[in-house]
Amino acid sequence: MEFQIKRLLSQIFIFFSANLGALGFKTGFCYPFFYCNSCPAATSACPLRAIEHSVYKGSFKWRLLLFPIVILGFFGVTSGRAVCGWACPIGLLQRGTGKIARKLKKYPLIKKIGNHKIEPYLRYVKYVTLIGLVILTTALIGFMFTDICPVGILTGTIPTLILYPSKFVPNPLFWVALVIFILFLVLIFTVERGWCRYFCPVGAILAPFNKISLLHVSLVQREIFEKECLHCNACLNACPMGIDVINMNRDPECILCGKCINVCPKNLIKFERG
Amino acid sequence: MNKMIVLQISALIIVSGSLGGLLVFTDVYEEVHSGIVSVLCLSCLKLEPKTKTDFTFETAYGEPHPDFVLDNLTKGVVFLHYSEDACPGCDIMYPVIQNLFNITFGKEDMVYKVFSFEDLDVAYFYTNIDHASEEMENSFPIYDKDHISGLPMFAIITLGYNKDIIRPYYTTVYGTLGLDSDKDRISLLTELMQESIDIYNQNREGYNPDQR
Repeated sequence: MEFQIKRLLSQIFIFFSANLGALGFKTGFCYPFFYCNSCPAATSACPLRAIEHSVYKGSFKWRLLLFPIVILGFFGVTSGRAVCGWACPIGLLQRGTGKIARKLKKYPLIKKIGNHKIEPYLRYVKYVTLIGLVILTTALIGFMFTDICPVGILTGTIPTLILYPSKFVPNPLFWVALVIFILFLVLIFTVERGWCRYFCPVGAILAPFNKISLLHVSLVQREIFEKECLHCNACLNACPMGIDVINMNRDPECILCGKCINVCPKNLIKFERG
Repeated sequence: MNKMIVLQISALIIVSGSLGGLLVFTDVYEEVHSGIVSVLCLSCLKLEPKTKTDFTFETAYGEPHPDFVLDNLTKGVVFLHYSEDACPGCDIMYPVIQNLFNITFGKEDMVYKVFSFEDLDVAYFYTNIDHASEEMENSFPIYDKDHISGLPMFAIITLGYNKDIIRPYYTTVYGTLGLDSDKDRISLLTELMQESIDIYNQNREGYNPDQR
């Protein structure tokens, strides 16, 4: 499990790097993951906020639209959704809550929800969120997604209210965002990586890059795999994204966490370059 | 397999080239830095700054008042209005200010207008941070009284008596002023303007802009 400790250290390191704004270090880059620029310690901009700025109320600032997309694209082409598994602070949070979600899976109701036939289709919600709430609603009406975003509540609102309790009061969307935040908590405590699976618009941008990324998770040669696989389902059970690892081929949901590689008793799954 | 390598290399060249090009040939880095990272996004926070209308002599970071403010204080009260392109609070306050002062202007314009309010000249400056001159942009943190760094922001600068000198004396309010209707917002700003004008009239005689 040394590999998973390395991944944890990477997530912790990136979390602190994302918060160097506390020391006055601020950049003009966008984060390649989901983190709020209104966090008092933020160093960079939320990629979704930059996209929203670019299309706000019908305006079109192509540079602001392209900038977060090429930053995410760079990470996507090199390592697919590895950012979700190795860098995203919300991924780090879900790494913690995932353990509870895994335990709750034993309860029949939770198991039933997880195995429901509509579950695979729910994964498309993140694409609808990206196009509908981040782009179309912003272009036609005004900011929507980042105004009710649960990650904003977690990384922006709560730290701000703790640091400056008497400086701010809730705005009209605060209570809507709070309800969504509570649902977000319920989700990540009941479904492992529930936010990444179903709702994260940054994941929706990164996911298609898994199809062409230089680094990806793959099975050994098919013939060897079929001959040697014990069908123990250890990989399937270990995968935090609920991927059918045995049948996967550059799955857009894979976050390259390497858990399937670690648990395979026959070492039939590996990281591959190219 | 070869096709995949070609695709990967092409994609890598495209994204790296685009990223490099954006950083070298456009000001997008600065735009993100000054427009998103450095300005606090109040709508992302789902919070509004508490409206505190107290006046003070001290600028936010101890910086001197800019020349354009000191010079205009010889004529009357100075009203500074800061905004940006993509900002829901700015969109709400935009018509409020237009109604209050009975003026019209484009959202991306830079506006400087002197008009009469309660028989006194008021110098009104509208600054859109995304399109502002350096001097106007630099004045934004100076009047950020409560260290919010959020938009919209309104500073009303008058003259006050402090340590035997008549000096600029100002208040700053933020966001939608913590009020729900345009009528209430106009009413609060009118009250602040009237208070500023009263203080100005008491102190205008002794003001010397060179006495900084």
